[in-house]
Amino acid sequence: MKWYTIKKIFFLGIFLLQLSFTANAETKYDKKIDRYKNNWQKLIPTHTKLQFAGSMGLLSTGIGWDYGKHNQWETDVLFGFIPHYSDRAKATFTVKQNYMPWNINLGKNFSMEPLACGIYINTVLDGDFWVKEPDRYPQGYYNFSTKIRSNIFVGQRFTYNLPANKRYLTKAVTFFYEISSSDVYIISAFSNSYLKPEDYLHLSLGIKLQIL
Amino acid sequence: MERKKALLLILFFTLFLSSCDVFEYHPYDGRISGETGINAKNIKRIKQNTEGKTTIRFVMMGDSQRWYDETEAFVNHLNKRSDIDFVIHGGDVSDFGATNEFIWMRDIMNSLKVPYVVLLGNHDCLGNGEYIYEEIFGEENFSFMAGNTKFVCLNTNALEYDYSHPVPNFSFMEKEIANIEPGQEKTVLAMHVKPYAEQFNNNVAKGFEYYVNKFLNVQFCLNAHNHNIEVEDIFNDGIIYYGSDNMADRNYLLFTLTPEGYDYEVVYY
Repeated sequence: MKWYTIKKIFFLGIFLLQLSFTANAETKYDKKIDRYKNNWQKLIPTHTKLQFAGSMGLLSTGIGWDYGKHNQWETDVLFGFIPHYSDRAKATFTVKQNYMPWNINLGKNFSMEPLACGIYINTVLDGDFWVKEPDRYPQGYYNFSTKIRSNIFVGQRFTYNLPANKRYLTKAVTFFYEISSSDVYIISAFSNSYLKPEDYLHLSLGIKLQIL
Repeated sequence: MERKKALLLILFFTLFLSSCDVFEYHPYDGRISGETGINAKNIKRIKQNTEGKTTIRFVMMGDSQRWYDETEAFVNHLNKRSDIDFVIHGGDVSDFGATNEFIWMRDIMNSLKVPYVVLLGNHDCLGNGEYIYEEIFGEENFSFMAGNTKFVCLNTNALEYDYSHPVPNFSFMEKEIANIEPGQEKTVLAMHVKPYAEQFNNNVAKGFEYYVNKFLNVQFCLNAHNHNIEVEDIFNDGIIYYGSDNMADRNYLLFTLTPEGYDYEVVYY
């Protein structure tokens, strides 16, 4: 009788242990999955953008991510196009890094970022342009790339935060303007007083729709 | 009242947007504002200004890329002279082939009182530059009459093209050889790159010179590209190639064609 009870308790113990192991394993895996999902979720773009001009195409549109303690950093990838003028129409691709150190609440759902600045690298998707000069040229013949343009910009942003009951596609709309210059112009402006700011500085306008 | 103000503001804003060049689509967008077809217009002016003249004085310069200040100084200097019939820009108006570079240089050169023509340089072919050159200045190969002399201007930037595009274009040269203009007594040839430079199609250098010799009474050839003043009888056939300096060195070649022959000097400004 005693032996039977011990046996019963022993098997119950094993059963419970097994149960707890299973439960424990599930929790661990769940956590892992959660982490896995969270990590991938960070890759969900937080906003979309549309930008007019800015030496990256007539219109450029794309997605981006904001991050940092106060969402002061922002990275965008944009596709744009240059219509047919003297040459055929061309597509462009841009990677843009933005930094907005301050955000001022203006009340009534409005806010502004008094400074937005950054850099963007743009490439023309066209066969006449190269990253490095083709092999037929002597080495270092031109020493620059026609395909890759670097730009710098400063600008400002104004945001309207939609009230929760009015949100449909976006939770905030930001209008921004930027003044930018391209590497080819900066190099030229340095050595020529002939070139005036209106020659090498250009204006662009854009809209950002905040989704997350 | 408020609505009127708003409308006015919108109207003003739209006008502002459409009127100025404050918006740039791309450094290589090919969007050209202002004058186009410069060479064709100036060729007419050169012909009119030199009609019946047997002594012609012209300037050969070139390689003004990214030297806007120096080119502006050149234009100001030349505008003080009154003894010059026209100017030949030997090519490389741009450095990167960017659209605005052509426009800026056009605007500087347009301040010249005398007519000018611009040849195609190798830098002008970068990116989509040759399209911009064609629109603003004109054909890559062209000729014009100044008094009794025909000037034949050739694209010799072979390294910028593949074999589907003939550089130098012998068909064009043959056509120009056969076509003797009324009153033509001599010929001067101008090109950006001279034979045996790294840009030239040196496999056909001798063939090129064969055609050069076929032109009517060739006085000499002109080139730019090497950023040095050069005087060389490349093929030892008596046809001298005169190379102009770049604009950073602030000088130009001044040629005087006379019934007896020609003179040249290097002028510093």
